[in-house]
Amino acid sequence: MSSRSSRKVLAELLWAEKYRPRSLDEIVNQEEIVARLKRFVKEKNMPHLLFAGPPGTGKTTAAHALAHDMFGEDYRMYMLELNASDERGIDVIRSKVKEFARSRLPANIPFKIVLLDEADNMTSDAQQALRRLMEMYVAVTRFILIANYPSKIIEPIQSRCAVFRFTPLKKEDVISRLSWICKQEGVKCETDALEAIYEISEGDMRKAINVLQTAAALGEVSVSNVYKAVGLAHPKEVREMIRIALSGDFMGARDQLRRLMINYGLSGVDIVKQIHREIFGPNLDIPEKLRVEIADYLGEIQFRMVEGADEEIQLSALLARLVYMGKRGG
Amino acid sequence: MPTRRLPWVIKYRPKRIEDVVNQDKAKELVIPWIRSWLEGRPRKKAALFYGPPGSGKTSMAEAIAHEYGLEIVEMNASDYRRASDIERVAKVAASQRGLFGRGKLILLDEVDGLSGLADKGAIEAILSLINITKNPIIMTANDPWSPSLRPLRDAALMVEFRRLTKTMVKRVLRRICASEGIKCEEEAIDFIAERAEGDLRSAINDLQALAEGYGVVTLEAARTILRQRDRVLPPYEVVRRIIISKYAWQAKRAANLTDLAPDELMQWIHENLPRQITHPEDLWRAYEALSRADVFFGRIRRTGAWDLLPYAVELMTAGVALAITKDMKSKYRWVKYSFPQKIQLMAKTKEVRAIRDEIAEAVSRHIKTSKRKVRADVLPFLTVIFQHGDPAYAAAIAIGLGLGDSSIKYLAQERAPQIMKLVAAMKRELGKIEREEARRREEVKKERSVTKPATEEVKGAKKEEKEKGKRKRRKKEKPAGRGLDAFFKKG
Repeated sequence: MSSRSSRKVLAELLWAEKYRPRSLDEIVNQEEIVARLKRFVKEKNMPHLLFAGPPGTGKTTAAHALAHDMFGEDYRMYMLELNASDERGIDVIRSKVKEFARSRLPANIPFKIVLLDEADNMTSDAQQALRRLMEMYVAVTRFILIANYPSKIIEPIQSRCAVFRFTPLKKEDVISRLSWICKQEGVKCETDALEAIYEISEGDMRKAINVLQTAAALGEVSVSNVYKAVGLAHPKEVREMIRIALSGDFMGARDQLRRLMINYGLSGVDIVKQIHREIFGPNLDIPEKLRVEIADYLGEIQFRMVEGADEEIQLSALLARLVYMGKRGG
Repeated sequence: MPTRRLPWVIKYRPKRIEDVVNQDKAKELVIPWIRSWLEGRPRKKAALFYGPPGSGKTSMAEAIAHEYGLEIVEMNASDYRRASDIERVAKVAASQRGLFGRGKLILLDEVDGLSGLADKGAIEAILSLINITKNPIIMTANDPWSPSLRPLRDAALMVEFRRLTKTMVKRVLRRICASEGIKCEEEAIDFIAERAEGDLRSAINDLQALAEGYGVVTLEAARTILRQRDRVLPPYEVVRRIIISKYAWQAKRAANLTDLAPDELMQWIHENLPRQITHPEDLWRAYEALSRADVFFGRIRRTGAWDLLPYAVELMTAGVALAITKDMKSKYRWVKYSFPQKIQLMAKTKEVRAIRDEIAEAVSRHIKTSKRKVRADVLPFLTVIFQHGDPAYAAAIAIGLGLGDSSIKYLAQERAPQIMKLVAAMKRELGKIEREEARRREEVKKERSVTKPATEEVKGAKKEEKEKGKRKRRKKEKPAGRGLDAFFKKG
């Protein structure tokens, strides 16, 4: 921290934003994809695109960088960006997106871009409406769709897009990027610590950078600070909740569940994933066969929740099951 | 001891015509009619029993069958539309009574369930049934006066059943109590009868729910689980009734006694089920049923397939009630119920959640990720920085992201005052720097306008002008109206 305090930081951004590549040239991985995207820029032309792949692999970054290189600094003027937080049911597709897609094309650009983040969360009705727009206005508007699960994009859209599959980042890419950031920031970092960050983030660059910044804020990027950051960030309430349930106290466990959902704002799926991490983690001492049994049930309720079931009731059913397992003793 | 007892409404059905409570006028009409049939010369081949629910129409039909040794062949509202069912009954109706075979009595329940054009065919089918039948036909209806039922009225002997008086209902209830060996408070019997409004069936059901649920029939118990008249019970009483139900029909019926939407009722069950049921195995099975009900609600919401609703309701009522097998006593304990906490918690934490979403929104704009991902992946780390990291650094981030006091309070908790002070100090410093820069710019301008520019400075100024020109040109290249708004302008 000493180096930073001497420079006197008065305003700071999240490093995930600060060190996000602005142009395709700055993207250091996904070489093949970047090379093809650069060709689009050179030709000033491109088909509709579908970027698929796990979180934190650079899909959104690549989309913005592509638009930046295509249109220049003011690229946002020519791009309609709708992310998952925005309302984008079929009505929005038919009004807002259509309005933009068919609008007059400014003389200085070859086409406009519509960027749809987390497109796999759109209903199939909305996707159908989207498909028609992609067809009708292809002369003036190109779509970039981003998805974690391309299989949830309807077939006719997939077949109209050039599909780019982003893969989890390679270990050396993540580590070299992290250590470059440390150098820019003047922060001391241990190589072991960066490796620990890579392990934790499973190739998710955004997560890796979040962990890095948090560890740095705790003093320096050391192995112990990395684990401290992660430990503090993940509510211990999840493990606590599992313990309480296994000890037989359903009401206590349900109270804990509600705290997680309401105070931390975790979604049902977030909680299922954290329970899953705990079940197969080192900190929970339960009979081995229970781990498998619980995993089976977790998968079932995750599926149910994605299908529209009530999160609290499904998770309560899981807790009731844990209470019963605890009493049965494995 | 039998493990499964009959519902009392079935157990205490009258065996003989004289046992049917009251309805003397009806008996006067019915007995000659059935005798005329047995003698082979009926004036009317069918009879239509009509009257309010629970007044004894079906009981009378069954008593007749029992008394004259007839076998009942039954068809009810939902069967009338199916050709195969009508055919089945028609075949029976047309068949002569054999030498040794039992005679038949054809019972067509709830014919007023048929209405309008859609069921016209069904009414014609019944009429032709009446024409060909060689066995007596009894139809029942609550309200036989709709115009579409006119042909049936013309073809049948009309038998009115009157609403039972409270005294009659009480008499039957007392008899059942005596026969079951249950102690009943007279006030409780009175309460049940009052509430039944002449519907003996519902009175008997209520008595059974009380006797089996509480073991005693006291006024207090009656008040607790049976509510006055209006048939709309407070939610917690509905939940209690569902849980104490012994039979699927009881639990299902309880779900009708509320104004709550079915999925709201599910939240009430979810809230209070674990308060009532403590045996782990029972609770687990009950939650299995409840979570399956919830899956059906999800499907209904998503696809609008409302015809799935009965399955959801059956799972959350009967499914829950019948899941309790290990600790039966737990069903009947008196436990204080509560309003669904989820709704209360949501209200209580509304402010906190609004702040959290505000931060998530600010961050998601910066790092171009959805709010959901920010909440799950970024906010936890921000909290660590604000609560455990260098306070000055946290303050710098607060400024960089433009976070207000309430956001800082949310992220930093106890450390908030310290960080807010730092933010204020740093903002003052930033302000000073900005003012300093502005002052310097002013000074440069003044110097230029006052003193004759030296050659060096001329070069500089020219260069600046060139830059300006470039910028202007770049601006010209842009479309007339700027930003997305330009695209939304019509015409």
